[in-house]
Amino acid sequence: MPSPPPGVSESDFQRALRELEGVVGRDWLFSSDEDVLLYRDGYSPLWDEAAERKASAAVAPTSVEQVQEIVKIANRYGLPLYPISTGRNLTYGGAAPAYSGSVVVDLKRMNRILDVSARDKTCLVEPGVSYFDLYRHLRTNKIPLWIDTADPGWGGLIGNALDRGGGYTDIEFRDHFDAHCGMEVVLPTGEVVRTGMGASPQAKTSQLFKYGLGPWIDGIFSQSNFGIVTKMGFWLMEEPEAALQVSVTVPKRRDVVPLVDTLHSLMAAHTVPSQVNVVSPVMAGNNSEMLRLRGSGGVADEQWDRYAASQGGAPFWAAQFVFYGPRAVIAAQWQHTKDRLAGIAGVRFQETASYTFPLTDEQAEAVADKARYGIPSLNLFGSRTAPGAPPLEGHMDFSPMIPPHGEELIALTDFTGKVYADQGFVPSFVGGLMFHPRTMICFHAVPTFRNATDNARTRKLFETLVRGCAERGWPIYRIHPVFQKLGMEMFGFNDGALHRLHETLKDAIDPNGIVSPGRYDIWPRRLRGSNA
Amino acid sequence: MKREHLLAIAAAGLVSSSAALAQEPPFPMAWSRTTAAAEDRGAPLERGAAVFNNWCSACHSRGPQNAPGTASLQMKYQGSVPAALEERRDLTPDLVKFFVRNGVAMMAPFRKTEVSDADLDALAAYLTER
Repeated sequence: MPSPPPGVSESDFQRALRELEGVVGRDWLFSSDEDVLLYRDGYSPLWDEAAERKASAAVAPTSVEQVQEIVKIANRYGLPLYPISTGRNLTYGGAAPAYSGSVVVDLKRMNRILDVSARDKTCLVEPGVSYFDLYRHLRTNKIPLWIDTADPGWGGLIGNALDRGGGYTDIEFRDHFDAHCGMEVVLPTGEVVRTGMGASPQAKTSQLFKYGLGPWIDGIFSQSNFGIVTKMGFWLMEEPEAALQVSVTVPKRRDVVPLVDTLHSLMAAHTVPSQVNVVSPVMAGNNSEMLRLRGSGGVADEQWDRYAASQGGAPFWAAQFVFYGPRAVIAAQWQHTKDRLAGIAGVRFQETASYTFPLTDEQAEAVADKARYGIPSLNLFGSRTAPGAPPLEGHMDFSPMIPPHGEELIALTDFTGKVYADQGFVPSFVGGLMFHPRTMICFHAVPTFRNATDNARTRKLFETLVRGCAERGWPIYRIHPVFQKLGMEMFGFNDGALHRLHETLKDAIDPNGIVSPGRYDIWPRRLRGSNA
Repeated sequence: MKREHLLAIAAAGLVSSSAALAQEPPFPMAWSRTTAAAEDRGAPLERGAAVFNNWCSACHSRGPQNAPGTASLQMKYQGSVPAALEERRDLTPDLVKFFVRNGVAMMAPFRKTEVSDADLDALAAYLTER
């Protein structure tokens, strides 16, 4: 049997488990080793080490009332809880708690799609609803709305939004927290609150107007531990008449500066509506000369351009994005985009996919770049990249944010390439991904393993990247629980004033410190100073 | 999109009620456990197919170009056994259950709130008894 949470006696733990079982029934209280191990983070950088974050039990309610009862029991026994929605936040912790010994509150069974309004283009869902679930619901019922899905479609709308994840469609929808409208939260005291217009019991605009009256409180429930979110509304995208996916390539390394500047301008003017990927085909793969250049910490542009010229004409940079809307509008947007970029010598334009909606089931299945059209998939989850190669075992996302400037992308690439090389790792792919309107996220996959030796190297690499990038002005936007303390250190202005404010709120909202201790390094008073 | 998905979900629940939808025709909801429709029909292989389509096919369907699990198994076995799980004839129920509950490589394990023990029995039967 798993050990009780720190500070909770075995007898109290057993009493608490029996009370939890009384709330959800025998089938949905998990306390055997076999069952609790299903809540491990398969990509943990601490896999099988003493410090690996592990649950002591899990409980799976089906209603808000059951969540309230669970919270009240936790308060009585000082039981740390760790709510998860679909539990698929892989690369950022999965279903495992931030604080070992926590009881996972598995909300997967709260999977009702409570409302979809085709007229208002909104939905209201519970935490267990995955992107696949809502997509299938819209398809089944021929509702002409799109979701904006995270890359892995088994994730949930609420969990991804609360960790401030993103997707690929129009700017109004692809910042998933920004696309929410109204939430219901069980506070750590057991009280239920609704935010925004939903706090007005008869309001007809709960999913239409975000703010309600008074302070807009929703933000404190993201990347935090101030309550258990049991419902959220989201805005959905009206299915467009058509879409055109395009690629723009430029030949030289420094061309990324005008490329990104122009694309940012086009995005700001709403000419380019979708997420934009700027990646480097030249800096991909495992060519030994390329790896040497990437590991050098920065060489002259001319040296990179000579290398690029030796690679059979591969462009140094490629930008990929999508236009959505009426065909005539798309044609005008694409032409304007080409006109704006035509001044870059050697620029090339390509139309890579074109769709007219609605798609049949067979057409939807055949779409290659599904997330750009609101179609969930698991296409990123391949483990093997070549015959005979060992399978990938997992990874964490290292996610620094930079201004939308090509110079910054080059500088970051030089820095991270050298860090990977110095520590004996093959560098991650190079890309600046414009999910948000005014920044680029430069995702780096940092591999994780099922052995302590390699994971120790991985943790050192990750910490070096986090610290080094923050020192250069590129802090992360989201981070794995094992590194949340480190991440918050990078936001330490005025001797950690923001962190102190977070914990001041924690003390006020969760006096017994029972909800997700340690998440994003917010600790209740009784555990303050803990490193989990 | 698999047709089986649509059938399972369509039969799985009833109607939302909201002011916004009051004037619109009722639609099915995806709220109940995803294999409930097949469960109600009481056919183990049909239930197993529904579990596969809901939880496995996004990675392990027959088309390797859009199925990363199938593509990975093609890399691993190089054609010595079929890459698509539904075409394998050498799987055993215990093997299926082991991988679902333990995961392998990038595939994380599935919890009982996702694939229940009864669902897993049906899935194992579907992949080994057809």
